[in-house]
Amino acid sequence: MKCENCGINTATTHIKKVINGVVTEQHLCQACAAKTGYSTFGSNSLASMLASVFGDASSAYLSPSTKKCDQCGCSFSDIVNSGVVGCSSCYTAFYDELLPYLKRIHGSVTHIGKIPNRAPLSVLNEKTEIELLRAQLSDVIIKEEFEKAAEIRDRIRQLERQGDNNE
Amino acid sequence: MSSWYTQHGKNSDVIITSRIRLARNISGIPFNSRLNAEEQKQIKERVKSAICDSNTPYAKTLKFIDMNDVPENECYAMVERHIISPEFAQNRQNKAIIISEDESVCVMIGEEDHIRIQVLYSGLELEKAYDIAERIDSFLGDTLHFAFDEKLGYLTQCPTNLGTGLRASVMLHLPLLESTREISLIADSVSKIGFTVRGMYGEGTESAASLYQLSNQITLGISERDALKNLTAITMQIVEKELSLRNSANRTLLEDKICRAYGILKNARVISTKEMMQLTSMIKLGISMGIIDIDSSVPIRILIECQPHSLMRKCGICDADERDINRAITIRNLLE
Repeated sequence: MKCENCGINTATTHIKKVINGVVTEQHLCQACAAKTGYSTFGSNSLASMLASVFGDASSAYLSPSTKKCDQCGCSFSDIVNSGVVGCSSCYTAFYDELLPYLKRIHGSVTHIGKIPNRAPLSVLNEKTEIELLRAQLSDVIIKEEFEKAAEIRDRIRQLERQGDNNE
Repeated sequence: MSSWYTQHGKNSDVIITSRIRLARNISGIPFNSRLNAEEQKQIKERVKSAICDSNTPYAKTLKFIDMNDVPENECYAMVERHIISPEFAQNRQNKAIIISEDESVCVMIGEEDHIRIQVLYSGLELEKAYDIAERIDSFLGDTLHFAFDEKLGYLTQCPTNLGTGLRASVMLHLPLLESTREISLIADSVSKIGFTVRGMYGEGTESAASLYQLSNQITLGISERDALKNLTAITMQIVEKELSLRNSANRTLLEDKICRAYGILKNARVISTKEMMQLTSMIKLGISMGIIDIDSSVPIRILIECQPHSLMRKCGICDADERDINRAITIRNLLE
């Protein structure tokens, strides 16, 4: 198949878009795909996926921090570039740097799930407004009220932000 | 013992499987991308010993398999049976699995995280699958001590799994939602509330056998039970939509398509993977609508056992042309 744009090279990048249920397809060669902004499909899909979550990777270089994790020697730009974290200590070493990204991925930065037997009991949470909202969220999802679900989700995020600021 | 995919699960006319996967890492050891071969070997031995040398039923029911010892074709056949991921099969050096006889429980060592506990059941069984995974997790965690942070939960190599480390998913058969293109609207709305729909075979939201996987994306700030509850609620809504479309569709036209597919599958002498998947999807629909009267596990058996590597596992290594002939024979045998 020839590239739809230049008509010369073989199309190697196939783009399928679904907008409001309408499917459109585009078949481009590597050069034309790059011009259209589809050049970032790398071999490491995980890294590129994460790089998109991390946003503009160059921001990692803006801070001249040379800080490295003292356990594995990983720097924050290593994490941004590879899309993966070096070791569990990295989460402590780069906690502040990672926080905005974790918020973008999960919408929350506080674990409320299973606690292993070895963890200290102080971790246990009390029932908060956030938990009540989470229960409501489940209910509206069951009723297919997705708009309302988005509103409740935003309120949960807002409360979590307040919680973080108060700390 | 028969495999998970030959069992008859709850709501299995639309919900093919329920899968739970927990990502865990051993405390004090760097994540996989920063490990050398020797350290990877040590992890493999520690997990093996924690399960296989334990004085528990797990030691008797779960079997350790070193991936270095598994032939390439068998590895990819495991991918086709949804036991391991394609990435895991690709690079098998210093990897291992600990697996139950029916292959419903599989502990992967050396995947993206040190340990991935996977439980796979036929039909809608998210809670049951989670209970099993959770028990194995607690048991392993007591021996191996998993990396855990009070605020961030279970620590994983990729921040997208942080917190519960739980990825729960259902594989759904949605031929009508696909043909009306409603599936892309659904994919769009569920993505706004932290879920993903993707085609099981093929790119994006297209799928050769109308099979789609719905899974949770958010693992931090939500409990395991709530994540499962939400996934179940959305799954049931999608199931109801699919079933109501099946009821309101033009029955004669659908029956025609289904019976033609059945006719080809019963009589073909040469058949490609793609054609096999499209037609098998139709007979799966036919069974669920009471149009074809055969055992309901047959379509899934065809879909799995007629994939290239699974076929070669049975018929020996052969080229694509020979596989197409062997595929037609296998289908005819399964439909008899």
